[in-house]
Amino acid sequence: MHVKKNHGINFRVICKWMRMAGVDHIHAGTVVGKLEGDPLMVKGFYNTLLDVKTEINLPQGLFFAQDWASLRKCLPVASGGIHCGQMHMLINYLGDDVVLQFGGGTIGHPDGIQAGATANRVALEAMVLARNEGRDYLAEGPAILQSAAKTCGPLQTALDLWKGISFNYSSTDTADFAETPTANV
Amino acid sequence: MRLTQGAFSYLPDLTDEQIKKQVQYCIKKGWAINIEWTDDPHPRNIYWELWGLPLFDVKDPATVMFEIQECRKANTTGYIKVQAFDASKGCESCVHSFIIQRPKTEPGFYMQRTESEGRFQRYSIQSYAVQARPAGLACTA
Repeated sequence: MHVKKNHGINFRVICKWMRMAGVDHIHAGTVVGKLEGDPLMVKGFYNTLLDVKTEINLPQGLFFAQDWASLRKCLPVASGGIHCGQMHMLINYLGDDVVLQFGGGTIGHPDGIQAGATANRVALEAMVLARNEGRDYLAEGPAILQSAAKTCGPLQTALDLWKGISFNYSSTDTADFAETPTANV
Repeated sequence: MRLTQGAFSYLPDLTDEQIKKQVQYCIKKGWAINIEWTDDPHPRNIYWELWGLPLFDVKDPATVMFEIQECRKANTTGYIKVQAFDASKGCESCVHSFIIQRPKTEPGFYMQRTESEGRFQRYSIQSYAVQARPAGLACTA
């Protein structure tokens, strides 16, 4: 409902309404999945749903600061074409407070659904472990996954199958604000 | 059957170095760490035994590692886990939990079927380890 920039309701507004209405969770974008999603816009959605205090952040589309007081948070859901080979990017863009849903990424596993679920779980745990240790998990992501796959056959199979899968197209939903550097005078 | 509760149960058992790094992460985030142990691995067992007191305001990971060692000495055959609590407004809940010790053998669970009125079946999950054994002696080394 917001794909065209000249009409409709921006999803950030939907997020705000849903959080205030007491919604428990809402699909809010994956950034790296099969649906379009600009990283800054998705960050703005997630912040609207999870902040205790929203700060102004124009590149994320957050034009007004807001204290959410004791209003409950709404958990964002990331679903749509994501797979275990993207785990480092998912954690980087989406953080901890998110429901990661791997549909095709689980049942599409050649060795069955349980293998698919195991692959996802091992990838997630290995990546969270590395992040907590302070490693540059975004840059080392593929190496971390390969290392974890050495002790997990299902993960190795999944990485081999989907290693080339990425969805690189520019989003039509971009910020209405662009930072332009000003010259020093 | 390996217990898969917690954040890292699908990975190989953590080394002390890895545990310490998790502890450091929790301290850096300002979370309160606590250590819990049990000999009852049932998934509905949400009240493990608390080791000592929650380690609020502990800034040194060595303190936590010391308590972990003491807990290990006192419980050589049970499960031990480390948890972290985030007290910040809007969260106020447990945000990290991972198992750091498990018994050498984990026999797993079985389904118990009980026939009730009208031959209606009621189902429950039972743990082999705690079946018919007194408290504290469920896990063998």
